[in-house]
Amino acid sequence: MQWLDATIQGILLGGMYAQYALGMSLMFGVMRIVNTAHGDLLILLSFVAISVSASLQIGPYSTMLAVVPLAAAGGYLLQRFVLNRAVGNDPLPSLIATFGLSITIQNALLAVFTADPRSLPGNGLEYDSISLGPLFVGVLPVHIFVAAVLLTGAVHLLLRRTSFGRALRAAAADTDAASITGVNPRHVYAGATALAVGVLGVAAVFQALRVTVSPADGPGQLIYAFEAVIIGGMGSLWGAFLGAMLLGVAQAIGGRIDPGWGALAGHLVFLVVLAVRPQGLLSGGAR
Amino acid sequence: MNRAVEVRHHLVSRQTNGGRLALSLAGAALLLMVSMPWWADAGLTRSVVEFSCYLALAAMWNLLAGYAGMVSIGQQAFLGVAAYGLFALAGHFDVDPFLAAGLCLVVPVLLAVPTYLLLRRLEGPYFAIGTWVIAEVCRLVISNTEWLGSSSGMTLRAMQQYSLEQRQMGVVWMAAIMLLLTVGGSYWLLRSRFGLALTAMRDNAVSATSQGVDVERLRFLVFLAAAIGTGLVGAVYYLSALRLSPNAGFDPNWIAIAIFIVMVGGIGTLEGPLLGAVVYFTADRLFSDYGVTYMIALGLLTLVVALYARGGLWSITGGRLGWHWFPTRWWLRSGR
Repeated sequence: MQWLDATIQGILLGGMYAQYALGMSLMFGVMRIVNTAHGDLLILLSFVAISVSASLQIGPYSTMLAVVPLAAAGGYLLQRFVLNRAVGNDPLPSLIATFGLSITIQNALLAVFTADPRSLPGNGLEYDSISLGPLFVGVLPVHIFVAAVLLTGAVHLLLRRTSFGRALRAAAADTDAASITGVNPRHVYAGATALAVGVLGVAAVFQALRVTVSPADGPGQLIYAFEAVIIGGMGSLWGAFLGAMLLGVAQAIGGRIDPGWGALAGHLVFLVVLAVRPQGLLSGGAR
Repeated sequence: MNRAVEVRHHLVSRQTNGGRLALSLAGAALLLMVSMPWWADAGLTRSVVEFSCYLALAAMWNLLAGYAGMVSIGQQAFLGVAAYGLFALAGHFDVDPFLAAGLCLVVPVLLAVPTYLLLRRLEGPYFAIGTWVIAEVCRLVISNTEWLGSSSGMTLRAMQQYSLEQRQMGVVWMAAIMLLLTVGGSYWLLRSRFGLALTAMRDNAVSATSQGVDVERLRFLVFLAAAIGTGLVGAVYYLSALRLSPNAGFDPNWIAIAIFIVMVGGIGTLEGPLLGAVVYFTADRLFSDYGVTYMIALGLLTLVVALYARGGLWSITGGRLGWHWFPTRWWLRSGR
């Protein structure tokens, strides 16, 4: 029974990682940008959410409605004026540029918010639980998981069914050919980053509800997002979702065996996938 | 016959005036370092050792990322395991610490071989994340190993047998050897038979393969060499620090420093990391009191260099002026 419990907790934890991984998978799939500032953007948005919620006295979901448009606008500007210069076949410039951004964000947060950990008040949402037979499941983790499924599905439909999605996939497949047919890659790339950071806005609110956040937390969350994306197969949205589940379950089960081994079990599963199937579980699947 | 005479008036040479000057200066600097125990105080000695560690670390990352095209963000794995090797040999097996600092380099080799075998097929970003995960695994495993002091770490008690002066002499000499092996070694490697192959690989790995360069083998050798060099940095640094914990030894900040130095100085050149190390160390000494403001400036500088000046400071200063402090190519000059 305790292993079933660990598996369910792990899948729900995976919902959180799936939200981080979604934006990263999108940015890598479309622009081949390895965004090492992804975790720091998440923490930045968490702090924005905490400030917005405190100053407007609004609940977590209203905060989300305020934060997501801000995040998307920030993502658009970031890509348009900074990261577009780093797009190319060589992953090094974008890796180093976002690495510089990561140091900048971490220290700017430290300067503004100090190193004290903070969290978002959820009006009881974070404590409630429901019983599934003999097991108890937190309400918040269920919300997070459902949001992850909805977000991944929505982004999938956006890419498949809308003209923006077509332009995005065209620019990802062949930038030059896409620009001949009237797609402006710079604008499309900015749109992709806006989407990725917008999704991160949702994840940021959940993260601040779930645990306390402090300015140096970014890289620790980033590594899980990376692992989920690579386990799933880079550029595959549902692959990243699956990778996040696998990572969450591995961490939950590892943590039950010995509290010190939770994160380690996740890393070991990642290394095993790299050794056995380096292209990822779902690579080449539906993007 | 006339032609042969003409050829004699030309000279194929590699060394430049700047190169001769730089080599003399480097030699003088090393001699000065070796003589430090007789004239320098403890503070200066510590600064010189620290600077040497940053320079050697950057030289190794430059060899790896700049020449062999393997962008690792997990070199702290090798730094940490070598340091732990040193502390374990000295603490548990009563090996002399200075001898242990050499012997412990076996540990990064033992880690580098399986790491390379696991990661060798991965391209750019996958490789980078893979190395980072390896470093995290090392940190977590050691944090859970009681024999190595768990997460609270270890102290190098064996150093108590030496006086402060003896310790300083030993560490600064080790640092001089480290610079000779890492920075000098990089220069030697690029002037050797492998140098041309490495430069070709830096510029384009695919066309280097088509010209008969065994890229796969060369990459493995560079990865191994960088692991050993980075391990030596860990051994020297913690021989001087005397205290080691998993969060310090496997701190991602190590790789952040290496990337900053190499990118700001100029990746894929020998002069760049030297310039970058001087910039980093000076900035660190002058401005680190400003704390977060200084770190924000450092981050923005990295961002600006990655976006606007990929060649780093060397490409807009010495490189543009046509200086060659560490020349690796041959020139045809006319003899008068």
